[in-house]
Amino acid sequence: MTTVATRRPCLLGLKALLLLPLAAITAPLSAAISCELNYPAADVARLFPESTRFKAVYFSFAGRGGDPLLRKVEARLGGMPALYAPLDVPYVVYEIYKGDELIGYVHGVNQKGQFGVLEVFVSLNLEGRIKAFYLQRIAGQWANKFTARKFGQQFVGLTLKDFGPYNLLTGKGTGKVASITNPAPEAVTDFFGLLRAVNKNLILMDEFFYSVAKNKP
Amino acid sequence: MISKFQIAAKNLLRKRVRTFLTLVGIVLSSWVLVSLLGFNRGYEQALNRDIDNMGYQIMVMAKGCPYEAATMMLQGGAGLRYIEEDVAKSITEKPGVDKVTPILMQAFFDPNKGDGGGIAGYYGIDIATFPEMKPFLRFHKGGWFHDPSADEAVLGYEAAELEQREVGDMILVPEKNVPLKVVGILTRTGTQDDGTIFVPLKTLQRISGLDKITTIGIKVRKDADIAKLETALYQLPDMQVVSFSQVKQTIMKLIATARVMVLSIAVIALLIAMVGVVNTVLMSVLERKHEIGILKTMGAMPGDIFRLIWTETLLLCTCGGIVGIGLALGLARLSGLLVRRVLPYAPGGELVAIDLRLSSLTLLIIIVVGLLSGVYPAWKAGRIRPLDSIRGDG
Repeated sequence: MTTVATRRPCLLGLKALLLLPLAAITAPLSAAISCELNYPAADVARLFPESTRFKAVYFSFAGRGGDPLLRKVEARLGGMPALYAPLDVPYVVYEIYKGDELIGYVHGVNQKGQFGVLEVFVSLNLEGRIKAFYLQRIAGQWANKFTARKFGQQFVGLTLKDFGPYNLLTGKGTGKVASITNPAPEAVTDFFGLLRAVNKNLILMDEFFYSVAKNKP
Repeated sequence: MISKFQIAAKNLLRKRVRTFLTLVGIVLSSWVLVSLLGFNRGYEQALNRDIDNMGYQIMVMAKGCPYEAATMMLQGGAGLRYIEEDVAKSITEKPGVDKVTPILMQAFFDPNKGDGGGIAGYYGIDIATFPEMKPFLRFHKGGWFHDPSADEAVLGYEAAELEQREVGDMILVPEKNVPLKVVGILTRTGTQDDGTIFVPLKTLQRISGLDKITTIGIKVRKDADIAKLETALYQLPDMQVVSFSQVKQTIMKLIATARVMVLSIAVIALLIAMVGVVNTVLMSVLERKHEIGILKTMGAMPGDIFRLIWTETLLLCTCGGIVGIGLALGLARLSGLLVRRVLPYAPGGELVAIDLRLSSLTLLIIIVVGLLSGVYPAWKAGRIRPLDSIRGDG
C-alpha cells in the first residue's frame, strides 16, 4: 500500500493517526500491574473449566501489611532472586466462581528467566492445591518444552508444603518437587526460575488469601 | 471606624446559607475555568516536550510506511518497505539539516509470548549519530554499545522492568534466536523510549538479513527554514516526509473541537455563577431597602451606596475565585489523570499546567466579570429614594 507524497492539509490528520501505531511499536509497555492474564476470559475458562465467572481482585504489599510483610515474604523465599515489584505495585488475583460460590483462584507472578521474564500462572482450589499450571511467557529456543502440557502436568496437585523439603537455591532435596524433571537440561536457569516462580506464587497466595481465610473468626 | 469591607462582609454573613451557595457556584466555575486554561497550556507544553524528546523534527520514510508499520505490528513485519542507507547521506548535505540518523525498525514474531504468540519490536540505531540527537537520555545502569555491530542491546527502563533484565543479562531475538547482551538500561523518560529495545543498526541489519533502513530522523538547524527543507525532502523519490510540527498541528486540531466545547461549558458555568451573584446581591439590596434609605437620609450619596454594594460583589468573587483556584491547583494531577483517560492521545508529563500567572489571570477574569454583574444591583441600590424606602412602598 502506498500514499502520495503531498502536503494537502486533509492528509495531515490521517498521517498523524497513522503515526500513532508507529509510535506504539516502541510505546512504553504497561508495567503498572505485576502479572496479568493476556486474555482473562479465555484463559480462566481453560484453567478452570468448571467456572462460570471470575472477578479480578487487586492487592499490594502497601495495602496489606507494608514493608514488614514484604520483608516476611522475602524471608520465606529464602533470599532467592525475586526482583520484587515496589511496595505499591498491585498484584492481581482472579477469584473463580461457579454461580455465586467461590471455587478457587488463578494467580500469576513474574520471575527472572534466562532470556527474559517468566510469567507463571497457577490455578488453585480453596485448599491451595494446584489444579493447572500455565506459562504465559518465556523466551528461548527451549520455550515449547516448558509450555508443553507434559511439563505443566508435573505441578498439578502440589501445595506449598511440597516445596518445604526441596532447596530451590541448590536444587537438592526430596519429595514431589524434587521429582519434577527438567525437559530442557540446557535451560537450567529457566527451569529453576519456574520452580521459584511457583513457590513464590504459592507463598504470596498463602500470605494474602489462605492465611487470611484461616485467621478469620 | 468601620470600613466598607467590614460592612460588606457583615451584610454577606447575615444570610450565611445564601452567601455560601453563591460562593460554591463561584468556586466551581473558577475551578473549571482555571483547570481548562491550565489544560490548554499544559497539553501543548507536554506535546512540545514529547516532540523535543524525539530528538529530531522531521522523519523520512518510504511511501506507505506508516500503514505498513501498523501491519508490522499485527503481522510480524511482512511486506515492510525499506530505504537505502545512502538516502541518509544525501539528506545530510541539504541546507538546513543539522544532523541525520538512520533507523531500522523491525518486529519479530514470538510464538511463546502468550497464547498464540505476539510481536516483539526492535529499534536499530546508529551509535555514531543517535545518542547525539538525544543527549537528554541518561543511563540508569551501563552505557551505549561497545561496538557498532556488537550483539548488544540497550533497554528503556520499562522494557527492562517488564523483562526483568539487568546489565549483563541476555535477551533473545525471537524468530532468529540471536542472543543479545544487555549493556545499558536507560532512566525513565516518560516517552516511548521507556519501552524500547535499542540494538546497533548493523547488528539488527545482520539479524534481519538486509542492509537497508526504515526511517531517517532529521534534526534541523535552529535558524533553518523547516518548510523549505520539507519541500526539498518531498522531491526525494518514493519518500514520505513527516514533520513533527505538522503532527503537532494535527493533534492540536484533533483536540481543538473538544477544547472549544469544554471551554464553552466553562464560560457557561461562569455565567451561571455570575447570575447567582446578581441574584444574591440583588436580593440583599431589596431586603435592605429600608436600611439603605436611612443611610441616604443620613447623608450617604448614591455613589457611596453603589460602592458599598459593589464591595459585596468584589468580596464574593475574590473569595470564591481564590478557593476555586486553590482547589484547581491541589487537584491538578487528578484533573490531568481524568483528562488522560478521556483523550484518545495524550502526551506524557503534566497535562494541566497551572502557575501563578495563570492563577492571577483567572482571578482577574472572575473579579472583572463579577464586578460587571454587580453593576445592576449596585446601581439599583444607589437609586433607592430615602422617603419611599422608609415608607416601605418601594
